[in-house]
Amino acid sequence: MNRILSDRCIAPVAAVLAFSLASVLFSYAADPAVQVQLDVKEASPRAVENLTERGILRDYRFAWTSMAQALEFNTLDPLEGPFAGDARQWLRETVISQQRSGLSQRYAAQSHKLEAVFYAPEGDVMELRDTAEYDLQISGGGKIIHDEHVVLHFIVLMTPGADRWVIRQMQAVPRF
Amino acid sequence: MRRSFPICAAAMCLFVASEAQDIRVPASAVAGEEASISTTGSGKATFYLIGPGISSKSDVNLGEEIHLQAQDLRNAGEYIAVVCSRECHNASFFVSAGKPHRLTFLVHPSRVPVAQNDAVTGVALPFDDFRNLVTTPETINFQLTAGNASVSRSVRTQDGISWFRTASGKSAGPLQVVASLDDISTRRAVQQVASDPCNLRIKGERTATGILVETEPVHDCAGNPVPDGTIVTFTATVGDEKSTVDAPIKQNVARAQIVASGPAVISAASGVVMGNELRVGGRP
Repeated sequence: MNRILSDRCIAPVAAVLAFSLASVLFSYAADPAVQVQLDVKEASPRAVENLTERGILRDYRFAWTSMAQALEFNTLDPLEGPFAGDARQWLRETVISQQRSGLSQRYAAQSHKLEAVFYAPEGDVMELRDTAEYDLQISGGGKIIHDEHVVLHFIVLMTPGADRWVIRQMQAVPRF
Repeated sequence: MRRSFPICAAAMCLFVASEAQDIRVPASAVAGEEASISTTGSGKATFYLIGPGISSKSDVNLGEEIHLQAQDLRNAGEYIAVVCSRECHNASFFVSAGKPHRLTFLVHPSRVPVAQNDAVTGVALPFDDFRNLVTTPETINFQLTAGNASVSRSVRTQDGISWFRTASGKSAGPLQVVASLDDISTRRAVQQVASDPCNLRIKGERTATGILVETEPVHDCAGNPVPDGTIVTFTATVGDEKSTVDAPIKQNVARAQIVASGPAVISAASGVVMGNELRVGGRP
C-alpha cells in the first residue's frame, strides 16, 4: 500500500520536475545569456589591468541583462545597481514612460563587441565602444508592433563604484 | 450574396483609407530640438515613439506631419518611430547631442609634490544642455597657472574625451587648472607641496632629562619648506640599545626629547631621506 502511494506521489512530482526542467531549458534556448567580448588592447593612456578587464566584462554583461529585464517587465529595480548618473536617469524615464504607454521592449540573443578606447590615467573613468547586436521586439496591448534584428553602436562611459563598474553614460551613435 | 457586397466594400474602403505607405523620419535631429515625421496615406493610425527616456503612444492622422516636441528628444541616441494602422510601419533615426554646455573636468591628484614628472592629469568631457556627451570633435584648452607662470595647451576631443598629463611645478603653492571650450570653463585647483626633504641635518644638546635633538629647517631640494606634519624619525643608539622617536615637523623644524644618560649616536630620517649622525657624550 505504501509502495503504491509513494509511486502515485512520485509520478506527478516527476512530471512537474520534468516540466520545470523543460521550461528552464526552453527559456535558456529562447533567451541565451548576453554574450560580451572585450578588447582592451587599444585602451590608453592607462593599460587595463587583468582584474579590471574581468570586472568590466562581468559588470557590462550584468548591466545589459538588467536593462533587458527592466525594459521587458517595466520595473525599475534592476537598474539600481549597474547604472548610475545620466544612464540610470534616462533608463528610469524609459521604464516609467513605458508603464504609462503600455509598451515593453524585449532584447534577445544579445551579443556585444566591446572595445576599451580610453582609460583615464588615474583609473577613474573608462570609455568603451560597443557594437551591439540583438533581436528587439516592441510590444503594446498584447501585440508585437516592432520586431527587428538590430546592430547598433554605443559609446559607453563606465566608472568604478564601491564594488563594481557602473555605466554612467550610454549613447547610441550612427557610427564610430 | 446581397449582404456580402457592402461588407467587402467597407473592408476595402478601410484598407485604402488607413494604409500608411511611407514614414519619413528626420535625417538628422539634435537633442532638445523639435522635429517632425511625415507619413503618407490617409485615415487614423497609432503612432509610437520609442527612444532613450521616451516611450509614447498617440493617435495620428495619416498624411499629416507628426510633430515631435523638443522634450521628447532630450536624450541623444537611436529612436524608433512606428505607425500602425492596418499594419505597422517603422523607421529609426538618430538624435545627436547639442552644443557643449558644460565641461566635466577630472583633475588628479588634489595634492602633489613639486618637480614630479607626469604627476598632474586632467580629463575633460563636454556635455550638452541635456547631459548628452558631445562626441563630435571639439578643441578644449587646458590652462595651468602657478604663481605668475602659466602654460596652456589645446587638445581635441576624441569620442567626447580630451585629456592631458604634465609635470608638477617647481614651487609649492596652488596650481590653478582651467579647462575651457568656447565660453564654457571649469576650474580645478591642485595644491603643490614640497617634495621629499633634502640635506636633512640635525643638532642636539644634552639636558637634565636626556638629549634634546632637533632638525635644522627642513626644505626640499628646490628650497620649498617641507609641510608641517611631515614625520621625522629620530633613532638613538646607546650601547647595544636602539630607541626611536617620531616627531612631526612644526614650523620647518622637528624636535624630540630622547631619554639617555650614556653616550649616544643619534640619526634622523624622513621618508627615504637619511640625515647626518650626531654623537652626544654621556652625562658628566
